[in-house]
Amino acid sequence: MIKKILIANRGEIAVRIAKACTEMKITSVAVYSEADKYSLHVRVADEAYHIGNSVASDSYLNGDKIIELAKNIGADAIHPGYGFLSENANFIKKCENAGIIFIGPSSKSVEMMGDKTRARTLMKQNNVPIVPGTTEGISTYEEAKSVALEIGLPVMLKASAGGGGKGMRKIEHIDDLKQAIDSAKNEAKKAFGNDTVYIEKFIENPKHIEVQILADKHGNYLHLFERDCSIQRRHQKVVEEAPAFTLTPKLRAKVTLAAVNAAKACNYYNAGTIEFLFDQKESFYFLEMNTRLQVEHPVTELITGIDLVKEQIKIAQGDKLTIKQEDIKILGHAIECRIYAEDVDANFAPSTGKILHHRLPSGPGIRVDRGIDIHSDVSVYYDPMLSKVITFGRDRNEAIARMIRSLEEYQIVGVTTNIHAFHWILNNPLFLNGNFDINFIDNKFIKLLPGKWKTELDDKYENIAVILAALLKDKDSKTKPFKRECKPENQWGKSSYE
Amino acid sequence: MNDYTISLNDNKHNLKILSNNKIELNGANFDVELSQLSKSVFLLKVNNRVYQVTSNKNNSENYSFTIAGYSYNVTVRTNLEEKANDYLKNKAKESGSEIIKSPMPGLIVKILKKVGDNVQMGEPILLLEAMKMENEIRASASGIVKSISAKENSSVEKGESLLEIG
Repeated sequence: MIKKILIANRGEIAVRIAKACTEMKITSVAVYSEADKYSLHVRVADEAYHIGNSVASDSYLNGDKIIELAKNIGADAIHPGYGFLSENANFIKKCENAGIIFIGPSSKSVEMMGDKTRARTLMKQNNVPIVPGTTEGISTYEEAKSVALEIGLPVMLKASAGGGGKGMRKIEHIDDLKQAIDSAKNEAKKAFGNDTVYIEKFIENPKHIEVQILADKHGNYLHLFERDCSIQRRHQKVVEEAPAFTLTPKLRAKVTLAAVNAAKACNYYNAGTIEFLFDQKESFYFLEMNTRLQVEHPVTELITGIDLVKEQIKIAQGDKLTIKQEDIKILGHAIECRIYAEDVDANFAPSTGKILHHRLPSGPGIRVDRGIDIHSDVSVYYDPMLSKVITFGRDRNEAIARMIRSLEEYQIVGVTTNIHAFHWILNNPLFLNGNFDINFIDNKFIKLLPGKWKTELDDKYENIAVILAALLKDKDSKTKPFKRECKPENQWGKSSYE
Repeated sequence: MNDYTISLNDNKHNLKILSNNKIELNGANFDVELSQLSKSVFLLKVNNRVYQVTSNKNNSENYSFTIAGYSYNVTVRTNLEEKANDYLKNKAKESGSEIIKSPMPGLIVKILKKVGDNVQMGEPILLLEAMKMENEIRASASGIVKSISAKENSSVEKGESLLEIG
């Protein structure tokens, strides 16, 4: 039985994990960097330890320091959250060697899925559809050329060790191939120390739909249905929902089965996510597997009623899954909006500052997972996500109406946020009727920057803003006439005249 | 009796303060009542509806508000200040130069333009890294790059001048 968990993360996810610990009567331990002294995760954990400078490599990415601390304070497990050390196979090996339970999969599963070409080969062998292309790195230009022509242009070059768009190139003309391979290899070498690149067919305007998996150490596998995460900017998700309402029951059955097969193929245990691209013709392709908890896990929790973090902890300590697949039902619809500290109109530039005021939305169907509170700092060192607003409704329309209400109630002062821009998305006809893909923000919203998107919204409060500005200016700038206080009992005032 | 000119989203509004609880906005009268709840939160009653508004004062004439999830950046000047500002703006137009400032603290990754280059409004001029992300800084005016004060691989503060377009 796990008694004490060190949470090797920060922000909203560290807070989320601490809450699961509290419910399970497990001691939670926060670690924090210099910049996070006033962060919420430090305040909610049972114990908090300062582990280093603000730069992530000195703190949240310093695996040796974190394992050392876990040993010293008697933590029997480490929860990595997402990002940072969560998909670092070396770190997992070190935990395994130090006798500390890593709340996640085995290092072997992570290695199998971390290498893209290896993962593609594995998926192909296990009947999980992959994007047409090579399952090995490119060795010669001639070979690359014939592959590209065979699967048809445009194609994508991707780095085998890849992520974050590095080493990625889209090729529309075959003459550009040679140069693109050279520059992609160069970039991949620099970013990952590995210059292997492979070719994939370019999928036009796909939807991003992913399946949530739970698997224990005893060979039991479950899926918890899917999420649609197509609303993205700069390859980062901003709105996610569950279920994917445009999916037919038949396709849902197919894709969840493929996801379970993918998890089985790498002997997976823990919560995990298999990401797929859905093209316009209802074919889907394996994109990658995330061997960790996802940012958007709450939408799945709301539609299934299952607490994924608690399940992760139980799986890690060796428990068998007690939930049966046939008992998992879609109970309604859930949406998540990621609240970022950013100035949308300055091309999404991150905003920093101290939180001066924070009023949370409340009422039926609303959940907020947050990493901020009054007086916490939003620094330049980490991801600018402040919190996530998640709403649940009997159907999609109710979930959306509750989201709009939540975003009207939510107040944050101290940094610029993207809250206003969500009103544009949530009122957009294409978003409402499901006619969107991963390029929705790029194609429909970016061209309305700066500020023009606001004109597409019915502005109900312009007059109020104008009136308030004038009243505040008037209040501040009033030159107050000098008044000499000279009451009868004021002896000092009196005596000066007498 | 105070008269104000308020600029919001490229629109100008005229507002007269008639008394403590009465104003005239663009020719229409409103009953108003303002109370302050905390440093950054106000209650404003306009006719029969109460709004809870957050406010951040950026300087003596510029405020950022949020009202029901909508954000507003509002510039307010007395009519006299507004006239003075118009005069200065016209003068700046004659000399015709625009200074691009850093919108956030970060590291200059790459400068995409050289002195003497032609730039179009909205065109990326340099890459700034902050919070693990590369951000494109775009030109806020069209013209020719007159000078560059930013240096590649050096860090900048928020509001620091980066480049001058003339």
